[in-house]
Amino acid sequence: MTASLKTAKTKIHDVSSKGYLNPIWAARADKLQSATGLLLGIFIIMHLHFESSILISKEAFYHVGHFLEGGIFSETGHGFPVVTKFISAFMLIVVLVHALFALRRFPAQIQQWRALRSQMTIMPHQDTKIWFWQLITGFLLFFLAPVHLFDMITNPEIGAHLSAERVYHQDVWMLYVLLLPAVVLHAMFGLYRLAVKWGVTTKRTAALKLAKIMVVYLMIIGIASLLTYIFIGQSLELPVTPFVPS
Amino acid sequence: MTSPRTISFNIFRYDPQDPSDKPKMVTYEITEAPGMTVFIALNMLREQQDPSLQFDFVCRAGICGSCAMVINGKPTLACRTLTANFPDGKITLMPLPGFELIGDLSVDTGKFMRELAERLQLWLQPDANDIDIHRLETPMDPAEAAKLYELERCVECGVCVSACATKQMKDSFVGAVGMMKIARFEMDSRDIRTAEDFYHVIGNQDGVFGCMTLLGCQDACPKDLPHMQQIAYLRRKMAQTIVSC
Repeated sequence: MTASLKTAKTKIHDVSSKGYLNPIWAARADKLQSATGLLLGIFIIMHLHFESSILISKEAFYHVGHFLEGGIFSETGHGFPVVTKFISAFMLIVVLVHALFALRRFPAQIQQWRALRSQMTIMPHQDTKIWFWQLITGFLLFFLAPVHLFDMITNPEIGAHLSAERVYHQDVWMLYVLLLPAVVLHAMFGLYRLAVKWGVTTKRTAALKLAKIMVVYLMIIGIASLLTYIFIGQSLELPVTPFVPS
Repeated sequence: MTSPRTISFNIFRYDPQDPSDKPKMVTYEITEAPGMTVFIALNMLREQQDPSLQFDFVCRAGICGSCAMVINGKPTLACRTLTANFPDGKITLMPLPGFELIGDLSVDTGKFMRELAERLQLWLQPDANDIDIHRLETPMDPAEAAKLYELERCVECGVCVSACATKQMKDSFVGAVGMMKIARFEMDSRDIRTAEDFYHVIGNQDGVFGCMTLLGCQDACPKDLPHMQQIAYLRRKMAQTIVSC
């Protein structure tokens, strides 16, 4: 048995193809793309919910922010902005790994683009269209997500006033207007595709419906939160003082 | 009683053997009959209006898979498509993309399937030492037989290949039909090939790890084969294989 396994090992490792074409890396790339995608998808759902606590009140956002920054471990209860910095840096690495392995899915030649467009024209198919939009949003996120994460690494201070200042006075809303729909569409349909791809569910129609509901729901809370930050930012005078509950 | 309606067929016409011919769409009209299928209509068109019209058929009952074509943007079997399904009476017919065109609506799926079978070794490979023609074959477990029968229903029509955008973008991609057949032999207890052996065939970017889960195969398959589940099964199996190596 051991001998036969050794033979099998030799057989697979013996293939001399490099990079993604190496059969060992074919499986690893697929698993890494899926694992990073799952992590990012779950992170986005949590991130948008934490972010939207501003819809409840400035106090609610204050407490959520400080809890996530490890407020319970600090004497003042304010937490440590370095936590945001660390999480942002970690997520940046995850995004880059995900993008690296997802790139192999991108049509690399003009003939492939033509084939895809022709296929979508001759045979319109819902999941193929969804994948096409994942392709487009994935391409956008390749540029947008690192900008946001780099911003959070260099300016990790979170707070109702500080975040509103960033959104309104530093014009970061322009980034979020593009980032929000791109990330929500990409992540929710990505989670749906992951579930059917690995056979987590066979109830595909229900999974797709859930993904669509999540897209609408996250877009609503995301846009509402963004508008709230813009309104708060408008009401603030520079220089901004951090919000502290009275 | 309402009078039968006239339906129009917009059909792709091109003969690749004729250097002077150019691809074009030609419109034909026909009077609809009760229970008429696209296949019946095509035969009537060929008999009554244009004998040069090329399309394939054998069984007329969804068993041979020969009459597969793209009907109003959906790849499917002409013999299983009722003209009554199209309320506006306008039907556009295109040949299946991804295969060598023989002419008009006729494509060479046979060449593709043969090459695929040779490439993936799509035949049962029992233990050579265990073959004894004088001995009764060991009965198969009914549950296993039922599983295999489910996957054996593939009629090699090529619809899943045409419905797959991944396959259209990447010619070397195995496609759903190949993976369905691999899954069939992987599940067969008589086949001595191991997961590692199958990994060599489909554990790459042209195989199961190249599938982008666009699910055209699942949605278009005229035999309702469980492509989605089988590809997911193979993906898990092959991913586990590499972990254990």
